[in-house]
Amino acid sequence: MLKGKKRSFWIVMFLAPSLVLFFMFYGIPLGMVFSTSFFNWKLSTPKMSFAGFSNYMQLLSDSSYRTAFRNTLIWIAIQSTVHVSIGTLVALTLAKHPKGWKFVRTSYMIPNIISSAAFAMIFLNIFNAEYGVVNNFIRLLGFEDFNLNWYFDSRSAFFTVTLSWVIYAPVIMLLILAEISSIDQSILEAAKVDGASSFQTDIYIVLPLLRNAIGSSVVVAGTSMLKEFEHIYLTTKGGPGTTTLNLPLYLYNTAMKVNNYSYANAVGVTIIIIGVIFVISINRLFRVGHSDI
Amino acid sequence: MVSYSSRRNLFKAYVTWFLKYLFLLVIVIISLFPLIWVAMSSFKTNNEILSNALALPSGISFEGYKNAFKIIGDLTFEAFGYRITMQKFGMFFLNSLYISLGSIVVNVLFVSMSSYIIARYDFKLKNVIVTMFSMSLLIPATSMIHSIYILVNRIGLNDTRTGLILVYSALQLPMTLFIMRSYFLGIPTSLEEAAYIDGAGFLTTFFKIIMPIAKPGLATAAVLQFLTSWNEFLFALTLTTKESVRTLPLSLNYFLSLFSFNYTSLFAAITMMILPSIVAYTLLQEQVVSSLTAGSVKG
Repeated sequence: MLKGKKRSFWIVMFLAPSLVLFFMFYGIPLGMVFSTSFFNWKLSTPKMSFAGFSNYMQLLSDSSYRTAFRNTLIWIAIQSTVHVSIGTLVALTLAKHPKGWKFVRTSYMIPNIISSAAFAMIFLNIFNAEYGVVNNFIRLLGFEDFNLNWYFDSRSAFFTVTLSWVIYAPVIMLLILAEISSIDQSILEAAKVDGASSFQTDIYIVLPLLRNAIGSSVVVAGTSMLKEFEHIYLTTKGGPGTTTLNLPLYLYNTAMKVNNYSYANAVGVTIIIIGVIFVISINRLFRVGHSDI
Repeated sequence: MVSYSSRRNLFKAYVTWFLKYLFLLVIVIISLFPLIWVAMSSFKTNNEILSNALALPSGISFEGYKNAFKIIGDLTFEAFGYRITMQKFGMFFLNSLYISLGSIVVNVLFVSMSSYIIARYDFKLKNVIVTMFSMSLLIPATSMIHSIYILVNRIGLNDTRTGLILVYSALQLPMTLFIMRSYFLGIPTSLEEAAYIDGAGFLTTFFKIIMPIAKPGLATAAVLQFLTSWNEFLFALTLTTKESVRTLPLSLNYFLSLFSFNYTSLFAAITMMILPSIVAYTLLQEQVVSSLTAGSVKG
């Protein structure tokens, strides 16, 4: 290994490009989000002036923001419960290696690895009122006048948007599968010898051992809702009204359409804070990283 | 009594078996059917799509694919002093490819260099740097779109492919760091010791000895970077306005208005867009799967 001056020289040289990349597109922007949120900074008044907490006070009484906030929290709650349960169920089923389990695992991954913009377009067409597969199928079942405009009817928009992500839980499946494969086989053998059915083994032995992985899954699933943008932007655009508005979309509209930069960054700060609070409380709740044994 | 209970057990086993496969079948259908339907419809005519959405195409027609290239006009691509004028869709495709490959080079080269240092040497601030890089996984990049937009503008990279290349490389930085660091940790130091004794310099050792051994790790990092760059939408939308530098996912935005009555071409465009991601994923499936799980747990 290198020593002395040469050593320090190469350490600096090899770290520098990544550090520059990190500060340019992560560190500095993060600092800017926090600092500018305490200023007044708009396209119409480009000269920044200190504003204290006024942006945050304004958020409290902004009804669009409150809807976006509420929707985001609802989606976090749905993802961390229903979505995680679906992924866990798929993982528990595949862990017993039934015929074709690898095919199922690969297929389930595919909607997740294609562009979410393309996936949004696919869903938009599948749920199209006229020629969409879903409505055509329902008409085939005998409801010939069925003509629900899934994405653009205020009765179904929230449900349809939710559906587009809640049922696709391949990352959760992979996380849980990886954890199941690390469980000591002798524990499961012992349960079998004692006469436990495979259902009982799953419920009383495997699930409790998966606490750490489920905790991480809840973190991954919940925080993904703080990044969700494309699907809503390309389908409902937050509508009808503000039915499907979420925080990232509201931030985007405030920054790029309304051009109120400091206000948008205040929204950004709340997104970061929700994320941090969520991660810390889930890690506490599931005691992630602690062992039972 | 015994036979009764064993028959009941047998029945229960059948029901469980049936439910298990039914559940897996539903999972496969919801995953693949939407994509298959779009790919199938791209070979139909517009009328066929509107009149009977569930039917198979009456014949294989490539009209949609031809139209996807024709329908939105021409653009000129400029890079390294070359100029190519071509149809817009082809251009978006080329931009996506250029940006994805560019970000693979930048991200994988830069981050494997720093991962190597982090894996091999102890130095001041090492823990600070590692924690900083990992923390960035927790901060949703969506919260910073405006600040990144301002910064990219300041350094004159707005409306350039280079700007997107750098932003995408930064987005994947923590993931590549995890993959490469654990890969380098698995390579015995004796190899480097031997190289130094033979008089090889630091750079020669890294590029000629370590990097070739780390190829599987590099490939995994490259595929994940490809998926990120090829699929990214939000930053492409905010950091570019000129059509000549825009990427494929954004083209869907145009198609939404332009293709409103040409579903065949829209479906052809979607199919061409998702195919590279599926190919890249299936090529290196096992590695992608294992590093995705490792990355999420560490994040």
